[in-house]
Amino acid sequence: MSGKRRFAGVLATSRFRIAIVYSLVFSLGAALLLSIVYLAVSNVVDSGTDNLIEAEVQGLREQYRVLSRDDFIELIEQRSQAQDVRGAVYLLVDPQSRPVAGNVPEWPSGAEPSGKWLEFVVSVPFGDETREHEMRARHFVLPGGYRMLVGHDVQERHDVKRLMLQGLIIAVLLTLLLGLSGGFWMGRRILAQAGAVSAVTQQIMRGDLSQRLPVQNSDDEFDALAREINGMLEKIEQLTLGMRTVLDSAAHDLRTPLNRLQSRAEAGMAIVPPASPAHQVLEQVSIEVDRMRGTLDALLRIALAETGTVARESVELSELVTSMAELYAPVCEERGIALDAQIAAGAVVRGSRQLLAQALANLLDNALKFTPRGGHIGMHLQAAAQGPQVSIADDGPGIPQHLREVVLGRRVRLDEARNLPGSGLGLSLVAAVTKLHGARLSLDDAQPGLKVTLQFPA
Amino acid sequence: MHVLIVEDDATARVHLTKALTDAGYRVDAAGDGIEGLHRASSTAFDVVIVDRMLPKLDGLALIQSLRATGRKTPVLILSALGEVDDRITGLRAGGDDYLTKPYHLAELLARIDALARRGDASTSESVAKSRLADLELDRMTRRVTRGGRKIELTAREFQLLDYLMQHSGQVVTRTMLLEGVWDYHFDPQTNVIDVHISRLRQAIDKGFDKALLHTVRGAGYSLREEE
Repeated sequence: MSGKRRFAGVLATSRFRIAIVYSLVFSLGAALLLSIVYLAVSNVVDSGTDNLIEAEVQGLREQYRVLSRDDFIELIEQRSQAQDVRGAVYLLVDPQSRPVAGNVPEWPSGAEPSGKWLEFVVSVPFGDETREHEMRARHFVLPGGYRMLVGHDVQERHDVKRLMLQGLIIAVLLTLLLGLSGGFWMGRRILAQAGAVSAVTQQIMRGDLSQRLPVQNSDDEFDALAREINGMLEKIEQLTLGMRTVLDSAAHDLRTPLNRLQSRAEAGMAIVPPASPAHQVLEQVSIEVDRMRGTLDALLRIALAETGTVARESVELSELVTSMAELYAPVCEERGIALDAQIAAGAVVRGSRQLLAQALANLLDNALKFTPRGGHIGMHLQAAAQGPQVSIADDGPGIPQHLREVVLGRRVRLDEARNLPGSGLGLSLVAAVTKLHGARLSLDDAQPGLKVTLQFPA
Repeated sequence: MHVLIVEDDATARVHLTKALTDAGYRVDAAGDGIEGLHRASSTAFDVVIVDRMLPKLDGLALIQSLRATGRKTPVLILSALGEVDDRITGLRAGGDDYLTKPYHLAELLARIDALARRGDASTSESVAKSRLADLELDRMTRRVTRGGRKIELTAREFQLLDYLMQHSGQVVTRTMLLEGVWDYHFDPQTNVIDVHISRLRQAIDKGFDKALLHTVRGAGYSLREEE
């Protein structure tokens, strides 16, 4: 199996689809949880800074009221120098927007007094270099047209939030990845197990009853299941082999006395004069033995096909059907019946060549029995996509719809079916052989006549 | 011709011994597998008839042991099982032919005869040309002539004639033909073989003084030159 097909196979399993859905749900849950944490934390951090700035603004407003302008400027300068480390920023501008005091070089562009809060970037010395830091600030107008800007460095705050966001995304992706790979692993495990079960089942269906599922000795549910299935297979094998033994003994115990009867009849015929009544009686006995043997053979073969213990091989179905048509062609011609054989080449099935040949012979015997002189028998083999299809149609009387199940032996109503085509064991054997090959048997109206179709699996 | 019968069913053994003696065979009989194996390995029989299920030593085990000693004596298996794969197991074990009980004596005799003669001339199959009276069959060119005149046969008719030529002078049953020519092991309800034979007869005997393909009543057919 190619990797691509195996992957497609894993995707197609329902268990794996469930695993995907679960991992998606878990990832979504994780994302939701982390988002809440993120929002809560960033809210706390934001409001902490904002409260600090609000308090500062409040304080400065009061100082402005009490102090002279020069003293206020002095205060701002002091604070600017002192607070620089902690990241606080101040700027006082005169009504012409010229900076008067503070540690911000100029009124930030785009920070017109429309909103209450401003966000802007300031270059901050950092060791030998300068870094662009984000600032958040409040601004207000002081009496006399002066404007004041009080803010704080929020670069760190933003960095923390960005880190948290990154962490959140990574965490969600990891959850998704873990969920998927877990699901994939589980899917493969399940698929391997299902594949093993299906391989073993197929071999068993082919008649190899000794097959068992592999047991990994890992004491998990798969192993427990495999052990239970194996136990069941053991039981089936015993039952089937038991059936086979019963069949063999029945065959032996019926054939042996029949054989004695036949030997005695033949020994008797060797002694009595050929035209005597005694000879005729012995001949009748021999004929009856033949009949019983025929019935016994058919019954045993039906039973054998039903147990499914027949050795199977690869059967060239096209060759078989051709050879059967060829075997029956002269007899059809002799009886004035046209045998129309249309046989597609290259069809192969797994099964028993002998039983298939016997089934086809039974169908042809039947068709011959009920087709009048001048009639037709059609024998077709089609190589359809769903598997080879063999059909044999005659233009005899056919079988009425309600009796078709009866002749197949699926319902028993002997009185009605006695004189129909396929009464007796002929069609029952066809049905058993069809089942053995995993094929489907159907009887249809050939208008007029009977059409029997064997649809083999692909 | 010397035949050994290994059969545990006393009635069948007695009748078989008598029938084969009447048919002109020298017959030895054994009632179980051990005795059968002992006799089969100590005497050179022409044919050994072995029942599939025997006391002491199973029929198949007997054949395997016999083959292990290097004896190539033709073996015919008589089986009261007679199912599809039992035949295969029997032939695989070293059996040369297989017959299911109950059988007709004529069928058994025809098969014993075929096996015994195969022991004589096991080369007949590899011969390129066969000849019977003025009938000639060439396996290389797949050409059949009678009295120098070419006879047109279908592929199957050629096979049928080939089989009959290989068994010329013997009785060949319908079942043997169905097995030997078509490789089918069942009894058709219709007289399919008879019709094939009558076609072959049309082809090789029609227009000639002496018939070569004869019907043997109650048994089958025989390809032979009658005096």
